[in-house]
Amino acid sequence: MSKNLVNLNVNPCKMCMPMGAVNAFYGVKKCMTILHGSQGCSTYIRRHMATHYNEPVDIASSSLTEHGTVFGGAENLKKGLKNLIELYQPEVIGVATTCLAETIGEDVKAIIKDFYAENPDADVKIIYVESAGYSGTQYEGFFKALYAIVSNMEMDTTPNNKVNIITGMITPADTRYLKQLLDQLGVDYILLPDLSDNLDGVHVEKYDRLPSGGTDLSDIAKMAGARVTIELSEFTEESVSPAEYLKETYGVPVVRLNPPIGLRDTDKFLTVLESYGAIIPEEIKKERGRYLDAMVDSHKYNASGRATIFGEPDFVHSMTRLCCENGIMPVVVATGSKCASLKSKLTDEIAKVGKTLFITKFDILDFTDFDMIESLTKENNANMMLGSSDGRRIEERIGVPLIRFGFPVHDRIGGQRLRCFGYSGSLLLLDQITNLLLAKVESSYREELFDKYYREEKQEKDTVAEKTKVMKSIEEKTKTHPCYNCGAGKYGRMHLPVAPKCNISCNYCVRKYDCPNESRPGVTTEVLTPEEAFKKYAVVKEKMDNLTVVGIAGPGDSLADFKNTEKTLQLIREYDPNVTFCLSTNGLMLPVYASDLVKLGVSHVTITINAIDPKIGAQIYKYVDYMGTRYTGEAGASILMANQLAGLKYLTENGIICKINMVMLKGVNDHHIVEVVKKVKELGAEITNIMQLIPVEGSVFENMPLVSNKELMNLRKECGVHMKQMYHCKQCRADAIGTLDKDQSIQFRGCGSDAKAEQKKPVSKVAVATKSGVIVDQHFGHAEEFYIYESDGKEVKFIETRNVDKYCSGIEECGEKENKIENILTTVSDCQIVMALRIGTSPSTKLAQKGIKVITTYDLIENAVKTAARSV
Amino acid sequence: MKSAKILEERKGSILMKDDGCCSGGGIHCDTESVSGAVSQRACVYCGARVVLNPITDAFHIVHGPIGCASYTWDIRGSLSSGSELYRNSFSTDLQEKDIVFGGAEKLTRAIDEVMETYAPKLIFVYATCIVGVIGDDVEAVCRAAEAKYHNRVIPVKAPGFAGHKAVGYRLACNALMELITPHKDIAKTKGINILGDFNLAGEMWILKNYLKQLGIPVVSTITGDSSYETLIKAPSAQLNIVQCAGSMMYLAKRMEEEMGIPFMKVSFFGIDDTTSSLVRVAQALNDEECIKKAKIFTDVNSMRMRSFLEKYKPNFENKKAAIYVGGGFKAISLIRQFNEMGIETVVVGTQTGKKDEYEVIESLVNPNTVILDDANPAELETFMKEKGADILVGGVKERPLAYKLGIAFCDHNHERKHALAGYEGVENFTREINLTMNSPVWSLI
Repeated sequence: MSKNLVNLNVNPCKMCMPMGAVNAFYGVKKCMTILHGSQGCSTYIRRHMATHYNEPVDIASSSLTEHGTVFGGAENLKKGLKNLIELYQPEVIGVATTCLAETIGEDVKAIIKDFYAENPDADVKIIYVESAGYSGTQYEGFFKALYAIVSNMEMDTTPNNKVNIITGMITPADTRYLKQLLDQLGVDYILLPDLSDNLDGVHVEKYDRLPSGGTDLSDIAKMAGARVTIELSEFTEESVSPAEYLKETYGVPVVRLNPPIGLRDTDKFLTVLESYGAIIPEEIKKERGRYLDAMVDSHKYNASGRATIFGEPDFVHSMTRLCCENGIMPVVVATGSKCASLKSKLTDEIAKVGKTLFITKFDILDFTDFDMIESLTKENNANMMLGSSDGRRIEERIGVPLIRFGFPVHDRIGGQRLRCFGYSGSLLLLDQITNLLLAKVESSYREELFDKYYREEKQEKDTVAEKTKVMKSIEEKTKTHPCYNCGAGKYGRMHLPVAPKCNISCNYCVRKYDCPNESRPGVTTEVLTPEEAFKKYAVVKEKMDNLTVVGIAGPGDSLADFKNTEKTLQLIREYDPNVTFCLSTNGLMLPVYASDLVKLGVSHVTITINAIDPKIGAQIYKYVDYMGTRYTGEAGASILMANQLAGLKYLTENGIICKINMVMLKGVNDHHIVEVVKKVKELGAEITNIMQLIPVEGSVFENMPLVSNKELMNLRKECGVHMKQMYHCKQCRADAIGTLDKDQSIQFRGCGSDAKAEQKKPVSKVAVATKSGVIVDQHFGHAEEFYIYESDGKEVKFIETRNVDKYCSGIEECGEKENKIENILTTVSDCQIVMALRIGTSPSTKLAQKGIKVITTYDLIENAVKTAARSV
Repeated sequence: MKSAKILEERKGSILMKDDGCCSGGGIHCDTESVSGAVSQRACVYCGARVVLNPITDAFHIVHGPIGCASYTWDIRGSLSSGSELYRNSFSTDLQEKDIVFGGAEKLTRAIDEVMETYAPKLIFVYATCIVGVIGDDVEAVCRAAEAKYHNRVIPVKAPGFAGHKAVGYRLACNALMELITPHKDIAKTKGINILGDFNLAGEMWILKNYLKQLGIPVVSTITGDSSYETLIKAPSAQLNIVQCAGSMMYLAKRMEEEMGIPFMKVSFFGIDDTTSSLVRVAQALNDEECIKKAKIFTDVNSMRMRSFLEKYKPNFENKKAAIYVGGGFKAISLIRQFNEMGIETVVVGTQTGKKDEYEVIESLVNPNTVILDDANPAELETFMKEKGADILVGGVKERPLAYKLGIAFCDHNHERKHALAGYEGVENFTREINLTMNSPVWSLI
């Protein structure tokens, strides 16, 4: 985007100067930093550093306010210094200015002078750095702070044999490595800065909030007497270079080197140190050999790399050189800082790699933003990025993977432990790059090549697999359905009585009785609405781990009032995608709703089919209500049977498991049942369940002779030749809950529907003073509005909020607005109870005079109101 | 050694709850931070940006030097179902010469460019610390742009030094009023606005799902997952529900006064708060069907959550918590959530709590609990150790401190990537508390 927007920086690839300054000060022993400016600067910087380093980062602020901005912030800064000393007892304090302090023209030098004058006991070195956010980035801020540190020291110019090493903002782990390396080489050195301990701390029993690692002031003082200063930065300007300062002021020679990253720059670093007497130990030579070996091993993979590299100038410079020596083509090299020489220093190097690979398009940019980096990354076909976590949005948007290095790395752990210094560090980084390129090929080549070259018809195996998957899940469900699988007795089921209506009348059935101890189809204690049924399901599910099946078995016919059945199943399915839905019906309405059942995910349907001969059917069914007409005799039976069979066929064709129930009626259908079984088998039913008649008082068949168990078993056996028989049916109630052997429906009775109030309790109106709207947490006198509730001690109902001022201006009697308490009293005058966190004696008395009860509490509003209303 | 040193001027902001009764909110709070005390607070700009940034299709232009734009670029977990524009950070990146000669012209050019290239319906211009100091008339630039392009270009003058975050909230509310006021006479529709949820980790979506199940339409979300088109419909709602009262009360009050939309404060943190808020929203709409659905919905879910919580409770026995968060209300709701879990709160502090909030906090906690306003790392360290806290709930900056002290930590900030609101939030919160507090690493140190 910012390709088009020259006046806007879109997604900054840089931070501000104080950020760099703070990081540099963290490399000095027992040093704390205070930012002279508004509070936010320090907080933002702390947040960024804390997430990168995973360390507590304490940075003070002079917390400039409006007053300070107008009249100068000297007092703020002085007080800040004092407090900082008291809290941390530092030996050094870095004072870094911000945009604000510089813009209002703070004379920080003079303020510090004043501070020393006013606090002669202050035994602390205060170092000041000008770091307006607008005059540079963190890169310049870092070196400016180092410059300030060196140039503010009273130096000991006695010549010593030391080598000064100055680094830019490198990771604590690389700093540690550098120290180790210098020790191995036998170099006597002073390293500035050294943030290896302060920003990558150890876990110790006693945490010390003052950073006690880092370069000691007494060592810094010796820098003027050193043999040489090696500054590991290619781009630091002379005006802020501590090395240049030491040269100008004390005549310490300067060698400026690239940081020791990659083979060539590490070689160079070692060669220079050798000239100062270092002896390269065997171990380092081996490290070099290993890196070289690795470069050879991975060079072919690396040739596929097209890298976008971004960050601070020194960082991108080193990374580009590392990529180039490994044959990885940098296609975008970018820094947000101003650094004109970056291009001239890298163009030839990159062009050389490009020449072999026939790539001529690459871009090197300074003072740019991520918007530009993103569009060039796309344009130049980069396949990897190397830089800080700020590249993660590009990674997310265009799918180019990012190797996180630099600052900040805050969406991954371990930013402080990243390594690239020396041969060993370079090797670690190179492996990461190579592996990224390898992973890309490994994870995609099969599919890519298949898509590219395979030209035959695509096989159907996918769809077959898909189908078996669905089937299997129904099989699974059957395995855990206690009615369909006699081995599934340990699984529970519940019947939800949501379908009270019936559309046929069977001669063996009367549904008017309710007895909680009686168990047979058609019986229930309560009829639930779909919402109540859902709630009951949720309650039971919570308490019964083995609940696998929800069934709708009336008490009427589950399809006679399909809306309720449908809604119930929808609510439950939303809550629990895995539960098995089962439903029983007389089948009359199946032709209408069978497709809906499939859609709802019903997997098991039981149809009661007592006959397939209308003549026999006519003896069983008194009437059939269908499409608004009542049919009797054979006409009714014919319609019913035709629909049952058509419905059964549709369901089984759509993969639904169907069970057919039959009531064995002596002298009516007992000889016909085998025919029925054959027919339903033909239509795809899974199992049949032949049951005894339960003679019910008041039903047509109440005096019908019963079939004996033996007769029943014989018939089942006879039918068993044709299809699977159910032997374990318990003929459950329409609100049965539990396993087949143990009905628990009594204990869950009533938990779906709202308990009906036995008797009307008096309703109280309660005014609540609340700030949060959740708990009673407002002073009566401070309340600007009241929440009005009504409660009978059982139910709590929110009525409205009343704004005190508004409520009163609408009422004649409160004309005098100045008296707030009066207004409040009017606002609540129709209430019986007032609740507040606290209340003064005078309003309390006044309320009491009006007969209003006062309760002070800090409870949840609903609870408090309920309790109060109960006490009335 | 640096012992439990407390700065003299900080002493009034630290309170230990007495036995017996409360000292009546005697804490020193709601004031400027003490210089050099290492406050954990942010600034005015931060407050304004936090509130407005979730507006997904707006151009958020930071007028000032680069730092402020850099540090606030897409660091929060607000999600969008539409535009991703808000995840960019636009800055005029003022340079030294702009400070000398003024940056207004650059801003004008920037807006011109944006309009010519993208023609957005809405631009916010945040003026940071030095913009006022160097004399840029940002308001005039914005007015001129609106006149020229007939879109909305709204200035948010948010210099960091003008107070703390809460001042920025107010500025953001004013900017929102400026946006929606021209549409205040549109016809009313059935439904509510949700104020003060920023769709962190999809929390706005969770709330909307709940309301949908109760049959309550949502007109406008302010500002989580919102857009220009959804925001300007806000005046048509029947009711405002305010979740983050700290940031949005002011807007709710202005909408009530100027548009006649009543408001109600709600909270969706914890089982109780979520349940009572949902039922109350339904009751406020006076819709019997909604009320019935709300009761069943909340009953089912609270029951589910309570049995979930029961399972975890043994793991929380005898554990103590420290809380350090931005606002007072969040602290209160956390204390109550911890109570629900059987965890005692022993240290509690906020960056910007108000006197009455501290009074409630004092009422909720046990005697000897330490209460802090605008605490610094040294104080947190001292009191967490002294009180033997097992866990700290706080923001990003506090996390490494807790870890250094060997204390578990729960992220309750705007960068988190898991929802903490609603019933889902209770699950996430409980799980997080458990996994951090009972991690095997603590037994090794």
